[in-house]
Amino acid sequence: MPSDKDWFDRFVIGLPERRLFKFLAARILVPFWAWWTPVKPLPGGPHPSAQPGDNLQCMMNLIMPLKDKSAVGRAKAAGAIAANKDQIYAGLNNVGTVHFARFVIVGDNICMFSVYDGDFTNYIRDFIATIGSVFNAVVELVEGGEDVIPCEHNAEAFIEWVHARDLYQVPDTATGVLRDQEALKGDKAASGDDDLDLLPRRLTLQLHANPNVSLGSGYRAYPGYSAAQIRKQLGIGW
Amino acid sequence: MDDSSVAERLVDAVESLSTDHKRGTRPIHTIGVGVDGYFQPSEAARSYCKAEHFQRPCVRASVRFSNGSGSPVQHDGWSDVRGMATRFHLSDGSATDLIAMTLPEFFVPTVDQFFEFARTAKPKPVRRESPWQKILDMLQLKIPRRNPPPGQKESPDAGAKSFADRHRFAQLAVVQTDTIGAPVSYARAAYHAVHTFIVTAPDGVRRPVRFSWQPVAGVCNTKATATAVDNYLRQELEERLGRWPARFMLMMTIGEAGDALDDPTQPWPAKRVRVVMGTLTLKNVAADQVAAAERISFNPCRLVPGIEVSEDPILRARRNVYEVSCQRRNGIPCPFNGS
Ligand code: HEM
Repeated sequence: MPSDKDWFDRFVIGLPERRLFKFLAARILVPFWAWWTPVKPLPGGPHPSAQPGDNLQCMMNLIMPLKDKSAVGRAKAAGAIAANKDQIYAGLNNVGTVHFARFVIVGDNICMFSVYDGDFTNYIRDFIATIGSVFNAVVELVEGGEDVIPCEHNAEAFIEWVHARDLYQVPDTATGVLRDQEALKGDKAASGDDDLDLLPRRLTLQLHANPNVSLGSGYRAYPGYSAAQIRKQLGIGW
Repeated sequence: MDDSSVAERLVDAVESLSTDHKRGTRPIHTIGVGVDGYFQPSEAARSYCKAEHFQRPCVRASVRFSNGSGSPVQHDGWSDVRGMATRFHLSDGSATDLIAMTLPEFFVPTVDQFFEFARTAKPKPVRRESPWQKILDMLQLKIPRRNPPPGQKESPDAGAKSFADRHRFAQLAVVQTDTIGAPVSYARAAYHAVHTFIVTAPDGVRRPVRFSWQPVAGVCNTKATATAVDNYLRQELEERLGRWPARFMLMMTIGEAGDALDDPTQPWPAKRVRVVMGTLTLKNVAADQVAAAERISFNPCRLVPGIEVSEDPILRARRNVYEVSCQRRNGIPCPFNGS
């Protein structure tokens, strides 16, 4: 027969699903641990790598808060994209390193998600050159955007601004976030005095410091090929 | 120390990982089921690897699925690594093996570290965390330890964790093992051969690769909160194959210079090129299970021209380990092709 002890154990196991516990965790536990064991937000964008394959199909995930947080503001953003369709295609076809780019409005943010080949700085630089006007039209609607437009005249600041808004890419493996945090602290040791049980807390505190992230490096049906290789292979030219 | 005595010691070390190892059985992956099937390479496979089973339209295959535990007592429903050892039968009567498991990475990169791992991960009595300890964990934003399934008296988990706390290379495999669960079917898990092999194409190009089996039926685990059932996997497979064959796709990921070619603890980036190498079709559970599941013995280094081992020291050590283990349990030794 189940004893009182079992009942208590089952009650405790179910605690994380209870509203009161969730409330306590969100309002007290997470802020407490974030204060007691501060965690730096990990930088956004692809992980630095010298390997050629890592320079293909990189992800950019920009979340940009709109200045005007109303339906009118969102409509302006939608209009700015629609009005620039030709410019966007012209840029895409000329630059040749982009697999796809999507604009999405989530909440009061305009988001740009893209998959590109090559280095991030060159990617943005190429686009400033080809579709700077589209960037200007979008960034103008975004909080803090006025500081970096026109982007053609503020290329370096603009690249930095975009990078700062590119989401942290949580690694594909469960322990990757630990390695990223060590790397940020300059800790390259192969072995340490770790406590693996702290992994959930480390992840929670990182997501506290960095609320919007990209999960994993993306799932690809045809990894390892550039947009140019695919177009060439399909015989659709460039 | 020569290779054979290292192999003997490695088998001893593996035996020490379970306290109820029964002589005459495998010291690990003890409970298993043998299945008959055939493998058909893809069109693409032919241009990547000149090995016979990637060149001929179809070869016969024998597969042994297994639970990772070295205990002779069956606990299908416990969270555990599962194995899928495949033998491709070739035209001249020789064969080549591909041994895979549900864990994508291994615990250690070298043989010496394996000895240390085996010492540290010796099974210890399982301690059920008290509710108060669980609350303390929650307050620290840790996940409380799961209660052990009824009947589990000891486990290597605490030792493996303390090893991983000291060795970062082991952390990924330990975390993955901790959360691996139990598949609803042997045909609904993905299996990884973990190590890097070198394949040679008909045009002579050599590539470092890693192999994985992807189930066509999809990956599906039992619910972690459900009461574990001890004996269902073999029956499920019999019923499944009685209705329809089960299939697996063989995927080959191509590594790049700079990837961890000789280290089975390190994953490769998800962006590496993946090639579909073929489809394995499983027809029926073998009629003679003594031959197909007990006496059969596989070896990760039983290879054919077109596939070679990499420099991975664990992979290289496994060649003699599996031979020694086979001798100890009176398995059917299989001669190495051409050696
Ligand atoms: C130092 C590393 C390792 C040692 C010492 C070791 C040892 C062993 C031994 C002694 C057996 C029993 C063999 C027999 O009696 O036929 C075995 C079976 C097995 N091992 Fe390993 N192993 C190691 C690494 C691995 C790795 C990296 C994998 C992943 C692919 C793996 C997967 C398996 C599987 C699936 C079986 C069951 C094979 C069957 O069904 O016959 N092992 N291992």
